[in-house]
Amino acid sequence: MTPEELRETVARQFGRSLHIRTLDTGSCAVCEQEIRLLAAPHYDLNRLGFFFTPAPRHADLLLVTGPMIRAFAPAARKTYEAMPGPKIVVATGACALGGVYPSDPFTHGTVEAVLPVDVWIPGCPPSPLALLHGLGVAVGRLAERVRDLPFTAPDHPERTRGDS
Amino acid sequence: MTQWFLRGIRRGVVTTRYPARADKSARFLPTPPAFRPNTLTRQGADRLAAVCPSGALRREDSALIYDVGRCTACGRCAAEAPAAVTSSGEFELAVTVRSVLIKRIPLQGEPR
Repeated sequence: MTPEELRETVARQFGRSLHIRTLDTGSCAVCEQEIRLLAAPHYDLNRLGFFFTPAPRHADLLLVTGPMIRAFAPAARKTYEAMPGPKIVVATGACALGGVYPSDPFTHGTVEAVLPVDVWIPGCPPSPLALLHGLGVAVGRLAERVRDLPFTAPDHPERTRGDS
Repeated sequence: MTQWFLRGIRRGVVTTRYPARADKSARFLPTPPAFRPNTLTRQGADRLAAVCPSGALRREDSALIYDVGRCTACGRCAAEAPAAVTSSGEFELAVTVRSVLIKRIPLQGEPR
């Protein structure tokens, strides 16, 4: 996988550039800080053909953060409906995936409850590298790795078993 | 100003090569935990589930169900059972199927 290949896919699917609209549905703004860093020189999102846009009408990808506050759900639906197809919805961060406010009465708890999610990016917050990987997965050029990760580790060399 | 300009040329660009090459800063990221199945008992798994603030851990019979999507990598499970929990070092966790993020970790620390 090279940046050239990624650029090629974006070019084929979305006419050279994929425009991202971010949607904050009640997050603590740390996800937004990480998303903002994508545009900074170190990560430089634009080199891969991704751009931020302020208008849902111009967006191909909806980057949703936060646990989907109930009062915000109509606005989120309107944003989704305002986007032209084909469109991708990416749920970003542990809140959006149902981790932090699963049973809070003022939130839906997950983004899936309101919008059809295509890609899930875990992390609290997901680092800019994780977001870049998620965007690569969203356009279908970076491989998903979690399926093969067992999240188990070999035994600690110095500790005896059964002491947890 | 001239010095700054020359140093900038000498040391090259700051932009990461990430999708093509690994980024050196990735090892400093807080990453979700990985568990040592041989060290985990049922009681230990229950304690980990109780200490998890985001509900990412629960026990189901003789397995620890770990929802990576819910995990905030806060490290409380690692503080509770340092022998059984370590850092996974994985940050490329994006998926297109939500259920892939839910991992089943067998508890093999049972006395037999």
